[in-house]
Amino acid sequence: MIYTHKSPALLLMGLLILLWGGLNRLGSVDDLQAYLQPSAYKDHIAVKEKWEAELRVATEQAKANNQAAPSLKKPLSKFDKEKEFQSQLCTIFGGSFTLIGLFTLFWRPKPGNVDYLISTVPGVAFIASIAFVVRWGLDPMFANWGKAVKDAGMLSWDFAKIFNLNYVVLGILAGIFVVNVIRVPAWAANGVRLSRLFLKSGVILLGTLYSAAELAQLGMLSVILIAIFVLGSVGIVLIMGRRMQAGNSMTGVLSAGMGVCGVSATVAASPVVQAKASEIAYTIGTILAWGVMCMFIFPTIGHLFEMTPVQFGAWAGTGILNSAQVAGAALAYDPEGVETLKVAEIFNITRVLFLPIIVLWLATWYVKNEENATKVDIGHVLISKFPLFVLGFILLFIMSSLGFFAPADHYQGKFFSGDKVKEEKLLKAKQGKLLEGVLQKMRTPEEQKALQDLIANRKLTSRDQDNILKAVAKIPDLDNAIKGILENAHKAAWHDSPVIRAYRDWIAWLFAFGLIGLGMQITGQAIKQAGGKPLVIGSVVGTLKAVGSLLVVLLFISKSV
Amino acid sequence: MVDGERPEAPLLLLAHHGTPGACAAEQLAYSVARAWQASILHLLVIPAFWRDMMGDDWLNNAATRAQFGGYLEQILGAEAQQQLQAVAERCCGQGLAYRSLLKIGEPTDLLLECVRDEAPAALVLGSPRPKGVPGVRSRIDMPRLMQRSSIPLLLAPWGWKGNQPFF
Repeated sequence: MIYTHKSPALLLMGLLILLWGGLNRLGSVDDLQAYLQPSAYKDHIAVKEKWEAELRVATEQAKANNQAAPSLKKPLSKFDKEKEFQSQLCTIFGGSFTLIGLFTLFWRPKPGNVDYLISTVPGVAFIASIAFVVRWGLDPMFANWGKAVKDAGMLSWDFAKIFNLNYVVLGILAGIFVVNVIRVPAWAANGVRLSRLFLKSGVILLGTLYSAAELAQLGMLSVILIAIFVLGSVGIVLIMGRRMQAGNSMTGVLSAGMGVCGVSATVAASPVVQAKASEIAYTIGTILAWGVMCMFIFPTIGHLFEMTPVQFGAWAGTGILNSAQVAGAALAYDPEGVETLKVAEIFNITRVLFLPIIVLWLATWYVKNEENATKVDIGHVLISKFPLFVLGFILLFIMSSLGFFAPADHYQGKFFSGDKVKEEKLLKAKQGKLLEGVLQKMRTPEEQKALQDLIANRKLTSRDQDNILKAVAKIPDLDNAIKGILENAHKAAWHDSPVIRAYRDWIAWLFAFGLIGLGMQITGQAIKQAGGKPLVIGSVVGTLKAVGSLLVVLLFISKSV
Repeated sequence: MVDGERPEAPLLLLAHHGTPGACAAEQLAYSVARAWQASILHLLVIPAFWRDMMGDDWLNNAATRAQFGGYLEQILGAEAQQQLQAVAERCCGQGLAYRSLLKIGEPTDLLLECVRDEAPAALVLGSPRPKGVPGVRSRIDMPRLMQRSSIPLLLAPWGWKGNQPFF
C-alpha cells in the first residue's frame, strides 16, 4: 500500500509559511504586527526613540569635537526579536515543507517505511500552519478584542482572559472545528495521527526541567492524590454500577475511564473486561464531553481562586477525567510558561503508571464476577500496558541531573541564594518605596513577610517567596507598576541556561502541536454517544472528583514545592 | 419484458441494525413483501463514528491501541453477523427471498448509494428513536433522505408489531 498522497497542499503550505517569514524580515507586515503586539510595539518605539536621541547627542558631540559622526548600533526591541523569531521558524519549517512538497510531487513512492514517513509530513505541516496562525494571529487578536471590549465599557471583564482564549485553547478549538466542520483532508490524516508523538516527545523533554527535589516532592504528592482519587473513583463506579445494575462489563470499562486517565484507560481496559460496543461508545462519549468541558472550566476557576502552578497542576492532574485535557488545561492556565504543565504532567505520568495496575485489578474483578470471562495473563498485561515514553522522561531527567544540559544549580534557581544578581537587576530604592506602599494590601502574614523580605534584600531569596509573590502579583486591584516590579524580581532570580530556555520553548510548541492534533480527533459524533447509565455515573463521579480534589488542593496543598 | 418471461420480483430495501425502530421496520417490510411478492435486500450499516472512537487517547502504546482496534472490529463484526443471520432466518421463515449488504460509513449516504445502485422499489426503515430511549446515536438524516431518495420511503411507526392490518 502507498500512503503518500500526490497533492500540492504541502508545497503550498510551505510557500505560505516562507512568505510570512519573508514579509516579516522585510518589514512589510509591521503595521499588522504592531496591531497584533501592541505592548511589544510600544517598547519598540521607546527603544527606537531612545536610540535616536542617543545618536543625535553623540553626533552633536562628535561635531563639536570635529570628529566623524559615530555609528551607534540600534538595540533590538521585543518587537524586533519576536519578528526575528517568527522569520527563523518560518524559514526552517516553510523551507523544509517546500522542499519535501516539491519532492513528493515528482517522487514515485514504493511501499515501505520511507513512504509512510513522507506521508506524515503534510499532516505535520497542516498542524504547524494552524499552530502558527493561532499563536501569532488569533491569540493576540483575542487578547486585543478582550481588552478593547472591556475598555469600551461593553463588558466589565476581559472575556479573553476569563475564558482563557489563549493559543492553547484556541488551537484545540481549531482542531475540533477542522475535524467536525471541514474534515481532516486525506493527505493530512497520517500526520494528524502523529500528534501523539508530539505530546509524548513533549513529556520526555519535560524530564530536563525538574530538579531531583522537585520531582521527588511532586512525585510523592501525585502518588498520594492519584491513589486516593483513582481508587476512590474506581470504587464508587463499581458500587454505583452494581446498584444501577449496569452489568459487569459496563461497570468495569466505566470505572477504568472515570478512575484513571479517561479515554486512554477505556481503550486499555475494554478488551480485558470484554465491554460491548455500545458500552464503549457511551463511556468514551461521556469522558470526552466531560474532558472538553473541564478544559474550559478548570482554568477559569483556577484564576478565581488565584491558584499557584503547583495547586492548579495538582488539581487539573487529579480532577480532570481525560489525560489529554489535563495538559490542555495546564497550558491554558499558564500559556507563557511551563510551570503548571510540569506539575500536571507528573500527575499524568503517575496516572499512566497506575493504569496497568488498575487494568489488572479490573481483569481479576471481572473474572471473579463473570462466568464466561477468560483469564488474563498478569505478566502480559503489565508489560504490554507499560508506557515506554515514561522511560524516556526518566532518562532525560537523569541526564539533566548529571548536568548534561546545564549546571545543576540552574534547577534550584541559581540566583536565589548567591550574590550573582547584577546590580542593575536589584530592586531600586524608588521601587522599594512603591512596594512599601502596598504592604497593607497583603492578604496574609506570609505575603506580607515575602514582600518585606524582597524590599530588605532587594531580590528574591527563595522559591517559596517567589511563589507567594507570584500569587500577590495576581491581586486584582494591584497597580501595574507594582506587578512589573514583582515580575522583574522574579526574572532576576530565575535565570535559566540558554539550553533550558530553548527546551522550554520547544516543549510549549510540542504540546501546542500535539493538542491541536488531538483536537482533530475529538469528533462531535463521538461526544454525542454520551448517554445511558455511564452518563449518570460519569456525571456523579466526575463532579465528585473535580470538587473533591479542588477542596483537597486548596486545603492541604501548599502553594509551592 | 419479453412475453412469457416472469416479471422480476420487486426489491424492498430494508434498513436494519437491530434497534427497536429497525425491528418495527422489519415487520412492516414482511407485510409489504408478502403483498408485493417482493424480495428483501437488508442493508446493515456500521456507523463511521466508530473510526473515531479512540478519541484523543495519547498515553497508550501502539500495541494497546492495536489490541483495542482489533477487539472493537471483532465485536462490531460479530454483532453485525448476528443481526444479518437473525433477519435472514426470519425472512426464510416467512418464505421471502433475502439478500444482505454490510457496509461501514454514514448511514444516510450508504442508504442513498444503495438506492442508486440496487434500484429497489421502496425503502423501509424505522422511525427515529424517541428521546430518552437508550441506544447508539447514529440517526439517519431524514430530511436529506426524503429530499434525495428517488423511491418511496415506508416509515414504520415506533413500536409497530406487524400484527396491525396494513393491506
